[in-house]
Amino acid sequence: MNARKIVALVKKDLTQYFASPMGYLVLAVYFLVGGFFFWLIAVQSRNASMIPVFQNTIILLLFITPMITMRLWSEEEKSGTAELLCTSPLTLWDIVVAKYLAAMAFFGAMLASTLVYLIVMLSVGNPDLGPVVANYLGYILAAGAFFSLGLLASTLSENQIVSAVIAYGMLLMLWVIGAAGGNVQGPLGDFLKYISVFEHLDDFFKGVLDLTHVFYFLSIIFVGLFLSVKVLESKRT
Amino acid sequence: MIEVKDLIKIYGTTTAVDRVTFSVPKGTILGLLGPNGAGKTTTMRVITTSLPPNGGKVSVAGYDVSEAPQEVRKRIGYLPEIPPIYGDMTIINYLKFVADIKEVPQDQKINRVGEVLEMLSLDDISRRLISHLSLGYRQRVGLAQALIHDPDVLILDEPTRGLDPKQILEIRKLIKSLSGRKTIILSTHILPEVASTCDNVVIIDQGKVVAADTVENLSQKLEGAKTLEVEVKGPAAEIKPAIEKVSGVSSVRVLGKESRGATKFEVVTDGSNESREALFNCVVKNKWVLYQLSPVGMSLEDVFLKLTTKESAA
Repeated sequence: MNARKIVALVKKDLTQYFASPMGYLVLAVYFLVGGFFFWLIAVQSRNASMIPVFQNTIILLLFITPMITMRLWSEEEKSGTAELLCTSPLTLWDIVVAKYLAAMAFFGAMLASTLVYLIVMLSVGNPDLGPVVANYLGYILAAGAFFSLGLLASTLSENQIVSAVIAYGMLLMLWVIGAAGGNVQGPLGDFLKYISVFEHLDDFFKGVLDLTHVFYFLSIIFVGLFLSVKVLESKRT
Repeated sequence: MIEVKDLIKIYGTTTAVDRVTFSVPKGTILGLLGPNGAGKTTTMRVITTSLPPNGGKVSVAGYDVSEAPQEVRKRIGYLPEIPPIYGDMTIINYLKFVADIKEVPQDQKINRVGEVLEMLSLDDISRRLISHLSLGYRQRVGLAQALIHDPDVLILDEPTRGLDPKQILEIRKLIKSLSGRKTIILSTHILPEVASTCDNVVIIDQGKVVAADTVENLSQKLEGAKTLEVEVKGPAAEIKPAIEKVSGVSSVRVLGKESRGATKFEVVTDGSNESREALFNCVVKNKWVLYQLSPVGMSLEDVFLKLTTKESAA
């Protein structure tokens, strides 16, 4: 992997996010809803904790992710630029990783807005910083998993809307599967609960840092990227 | 420089390219000609490593497209059917981006972008958004992209599509100016384009090569025996049998009577100069008047139509 090419690809995708109103719209919605929850829960309940903000905005993220990831590959395929990328001295891993990093960089801009809440909390309250770090880590890992699946969905269709619907399907599945697991007895129920994102996210939000949960999210990220590469490979046969 | 041997490409159940073989020597321009759906674009996509072949061997500068695709990609500039451009980027930023992913050395990047902009006369509008450009300019940006890393090999899929006549001439001139230094394959529907820019031509139809030769040879060879148009003034009934007896003449057909009392014939000969002289002498001997004696060259267009219609009729 060549850093210069990856940087160029990431930069290109990031520019495209901010070249369309979509990027600003998504950011605005995220700031607005996040700010609302912060005000409603943290300020009103006078509880110096990031948990309420994260717990609520992670649901929002579930809905926002497909809007951010849908164009990643679909757009390239549709406009014919996929042909440029695939005939340049790049590997499919270069392309997929760069796309993923671009989406994560966009998420970084979203996440930066939460620092405002943290600063407000630090100035008026006395939050315990250990759990805050765990909260952030869990939040970033979960977003990472969402984006990886969103990217996979984008490789599956050259139609952005179809990609978005596939992404919604996958993410909602990960969300509700835990609840389904609660209704099933035995190993299958345990497995379904294990797959569910929120089972793993809870510990982070409680301020506990458990490596098995980190491993869970990293595996989803890897599987998403790996399958994206495989899908692109299969398209070029 | 480019070797294509028994290339087979299958989409599902249709064979898009069926044992296509040709080679392009270094520094020459090959015109890939064929009707829509003949397999031109597919062939180009295999050469540029966009699609893997299902059979046969394709190599560029000695590197096999399946075994060393990255080496091939470094040496190839490719303008696909639809120019691969990003509407929301400016021309200059787009070219810088392509320079980065095509491994143009960092210290030459700015120079190279400037050169290519100038080459395609895009320097005045380099800060415009690509989505605001007309079709012709987009096509030029597509060409600029293919040239940015100064590749040895250029694969151009209908490079003059969407351009106005003046732009077409400019682009042809540009392509022609690259001959000798670069090895080029270009596909086109426009036959004069092949005649004016290419050294060699390969005609494909329904996935098969139906003809491959130099541009001049092809139109000559396909005439088969030389056809002459002869216009003679005299008694038509006597002229035809007289000409038929001339040595070297294989067939004579009356094309029609002309107003000045002359008759036009289509005479097929063995193509030698002796047969033409004999024809002239025959007319003079009979004291007829020879108005016209001219070879009917087949234009590339005729050749193209003849080859591709014959194929589909079979």
